[in-house]
Amino acid sequence: MTDLSMAQAVVHAAKYIGAGLAMGIGAIGPAIGEGHIGQGAMESMARQPEMVGTLTTRMLLSQAVAESTGLYALLIAFMILLI
Amino acid sequence: MKTSVKFSKNEKIFLGVFFAVYAGVALWNFDKVKFPSGVGHIWQIKVPLPSILGTLNPMTIIMTAVLLVVLIYMAIDFKKHLKKIPSRKQSAIEILLSFVYDLVKDVIPAEEFVKPVFYIATTIFLFVLSSNLLGGIPGIGIGVSSKGGLKLNLFTDTWHSPTGDLNTNVTYAVMVLFISHIFAIKRKGFKQWLKEFASPNPIMLPMNIIGEIAKPISHSLRLFGNIAGGGIMVLMLSYLVKYTFVPVILWGFFGFFVGTIQAFVFSMLAIAYIGVQLEL
Repeated sequence: MTDLSMAQAVVHAAKYIGAGLAMGIGAIGPAIGEGHIGQGAMESMARQPEMVGTLTTRMLLSQAVAESTGLYALLIAFMILLI
Repeated sequence: MKTSVKFSKNEKIFLGVFFAVYAGVALWNFDKVKFPSGVGHIWQIKVPLPSILGTLNPMTIIMTAVLLVVLIYMAIDFKKHLKKIPSRKQSAIEILLSFVYDLVKDVIPAEEFVKPVFYIATTIFLFVLSSNLLGGIPGIGIGVSSKGGLKLNLFTDTWHSPTGDLNTNVTYAVMVLFISHIFAIKRKGFKQWLKEFASPNPIMLPMNIIGEIAKPISHSLRLFGNIAGGGIMVLMLSYLVKYTFVPVILWGFFGFFVGTIQAFVFSMLAIAYIGVQLEL
């Protein structure tokens, strides 16, 4: 890490900034989506407390699907950092 | 109603030995832990084949073979001990399988395709679930050190899980794609199947084709991202606490919780993709 030329240093800095931005911006969408799913599940649980079991599994399932775009961002961030 | 948790003697001995070994290894590792430099790199060997077939991931192949043997052995053993009055294990498996069967019956519109889809979905579910769970158990693996050589990971990493490798996931996702189209041709006939691509009007033809190609990509990358990303995050976080106690919790979360949900999601999506193609 000691003998870096200016160009290499810029590339290193850009890598870290890019990975951070990719993960940070990429997490916004899934966060909003999962929040909506959780809100819907909570509302319907309050309306029908006897359905809690079914609703929880369905909620987790759809949250896992909604999470996938965030995971693409994570993969891209790791690719930028490590490769 | 039980008011307190009681352990039998064997369980106490097992837990004692487990924690003793774990504490010993943790103390032994404590001042030797370096930042995991081989993160993101896996053991690969080159074989003389054209470009894309030219590299093999030996750990994936070994672990897949071991898993298949274990699963087949367990299935044969289970079938041998089937009884009319079910034991506890048999009834647990029956509940699980009938749960999946009801799901398949709801999604698949054609009566004669329910059983084949059920077999495919449960096979995928069992394999993906057991290989995800392996990603939550500390074990022995072969990794790559910073200089490029191989190194033995002795309980500083989880078992190598086959679904943490994109090749496995793409294989299953493409398999599901082909199965869904073959079933669609069988149900609707070749002409009707071709006509579906140009529906509702021919302008949508490229959209439909892109949609079909995007299915296996998102299907496989979802599972890969969860398992591989979880593994890398566990490695980095466990370095921060020098592998003392947090890895157990993290391995539990990423391996068991996320692994179970993702295995379920993977097989549910396989059922849903096949079900969409089977609609007339």
